[in-house]
Amino acid sequence: MATVGHGLDQTQRWMQAVITHPGGVVTGIESEEAKRFLDVGVSTVERVVSRSRSLSALDRLELYANAYFARLLECLRSEFPLLRRAVGEEIFDEIAIGYLQSYPPRNYSLNRLGDHVACYLAETRPAGDLKGDDDRWADLCVDLAALEWAVGEVFDGPGCEGERLLDAEQLWAVPAARQPAVVLDSVPSLRLLASRYPLRDYYAALRDGRDVAPPAPRESFLALTRRNYVVQLHELTHGQYVLLAALGEGVCLGQAVERTAAVVDSWSEAFAPRLAEWFREWAEAGFFRTVIDPGSTRPDSRFLV
Amino acid sequence: MTLPCLGHPNLGLGVGLRTAHFPYILQHRPDVDWFEIISENFMDSGGRPRYVLDQIAECYPIVMHGVSLSIGSADALDFDYLRKLKRLAGEVKARWVSDHLCWTGVAGWNTHDLLPIPLNERTLAHVVGRIRTVQDYLERPLVLENPSTYITFADSTLPEWEFLSRMAEETDCGLLLDVNNVYVSSVNHDFDPVEYVRSVPHGRVVQCHLAGHTNCVTHLIDTHDGVVIDPVWDLYRLAHRLTGGISTLLEWDARIPEFPIVHAEVLKARNYMDSALRPRPTARTVAISCETATVPHPLAHSIVQVAEG
Repeated sequence: MATVGHGLDQTQRWMQAVITHPGGVVTGIESEEAKRFLDVGVSTVERVVSRSRSLSALDRLELYANAYFARLLECLRSEFPLLRRAVGEEIFDEIAIGYLQSYPPRNYSLNRLGDHVACYLAETRPAGDLKGDDDRWADLCVDLAALEWAVGEVFDGPGCEGERLLDAEQLWAVPAARQPAVVLDSVPSLRLLASRYPLRDYYAALRDGRDVAPPAPRESFLALTRRNYVVQLHELTHGQYVLLAALGEGVCLGQAVERTAAVVDSWSEAFAPRLAEWFREWAEAGFFRTVIDPGSTRPDSRFLV
Repeated sequence: MTLPCLGHPNLGLGVGLRTAHFPYILQHRPDVDWFEIISENFMDSGGRPRYVLDQIAECYPIVMHGVSLSIGSADALDFDYLRKLKRLAGEVKARWVSDHLCWTGVAGWNTHDLLPIPLNERTLAHVVGRIRTVQDYLERPLVLENPSTYITFADSTLPEWEFLSRMAEETDCGLLLDVNNVYVSSVNHDFDPVEYVRSVPHGRVVQCHLAGHTNCVTHLIDTHDGVVIDPVWDLYRLAHRLTGGISTLLEWDARIPEFPIVHAEVLKARNYMDSALRPRPTARTVAISCETATVPHPLAHSIVQVAEG
């Protein structure tokens, strides 16, 4: 039997188990989890929590339980407005409540609450009404959640505002013979996403509040970056994705191009001019900060721009 | 001997900085005495929220108010959190750093709620030890706020004001007296809010909070979603007189109106001050970059462009 004077750790673990129980406070108090810390039941809970003139101990604990789910649910709704719009409010709330049970909040910041939502959706495969094809629907939800979360991370993550970024001329100023050895330093805001659906237009339509049918599945690739604190989405080909991913790993340009050539269907002499065009576009979009030329005779082999 | 307000000046009448008000503040540079930020919203920000904060911090005094220190938790202190807190405090030249007398989670969780602690000798010793550790790490006194609470524990033996007084005395920390929280808790726990305000150590009160709450008949909930009601203003008048005048801030966190409405609400505090205790206006000479006023609304996740190609 619990008595007054139990330890702080026991009390806190008990209260946390009670107010975060998805079945409510009564179920929470009687749960095995709560009784591991304090062996009180509904009829004896006032040995731990006092009643007030107006409310019983249970009523008062309910206030914290309600607040716990309401606050975190509201936070997830605001973090995933497009997923919510895509699946509908009722299904979204079911997903969110399930998510909070599987991935209880651990970070000091509410901004990190949704860290694992895409992962949770991949594990739980939410049912939907994509012409009866639940599996496709689940894939779309997973990929949309991943994109929405990545947008948020890029928005508030590290960036290069105020810095002068690499332009194409600086890249091509490296003598051709040394170009395969150069390493491109991507801006910290650059994120690459591979998706089973063409998400860019779907994402834009949802953001604009337009009624739009979910897209048909098609392998798709996106680059996210940030300019002047505005997140930008760029659609990529598979080859561009492979090339940027390799460069992001710190692989030198020559090896990155070799990896790309292995996946490009129509490898030909026309590839080189396309490559130059890609880098011109990416430089204009601010994908790279610097080019590192190991063959440079300059004391600092990094072309600071 | 401890200086009144731990030696901190009376900053005047401030407003809690919220992202919804960023554009207004950047464009109009309102004549607010100071801003209080939620520390956790900026500790990891490398994007527009932090950029805007830096602009504002050049023009206004900034105070940091945290919600995740969890000073009353049985878990170990999070030194990674403290490291980031200390770094931010240095970067924005925070006048002081505050949080709440509460715990937010245990066993690695963070419920993101300000949960109450049993008010007894054992908890007091626990909290005092942790405050000392935090203060040593931050190299500055901590300022702790009385939270609104909805339960009390059967093994509590001390009234909250006594707990706060002894805690402050033993650690030399400051107090953030939230008179709305005093009122909310007084209704929820059947105590006299005037006795509470009279009993806290006034020389250690660094700051006062004002806010609105929701009356649910059987209890009050601290919702920060409306104007300050008269009984809370009365407590403020008392606190202001007993402390000799302290930095005062209005919190408005839900159903947030336009900035001028929020600002006007805190300015009502002048009506509850003895004229001799009114703070002098703060002089500001640094202009905010005009460039920032042209950037779109800064609320997180709202600025996305879909590039062609």
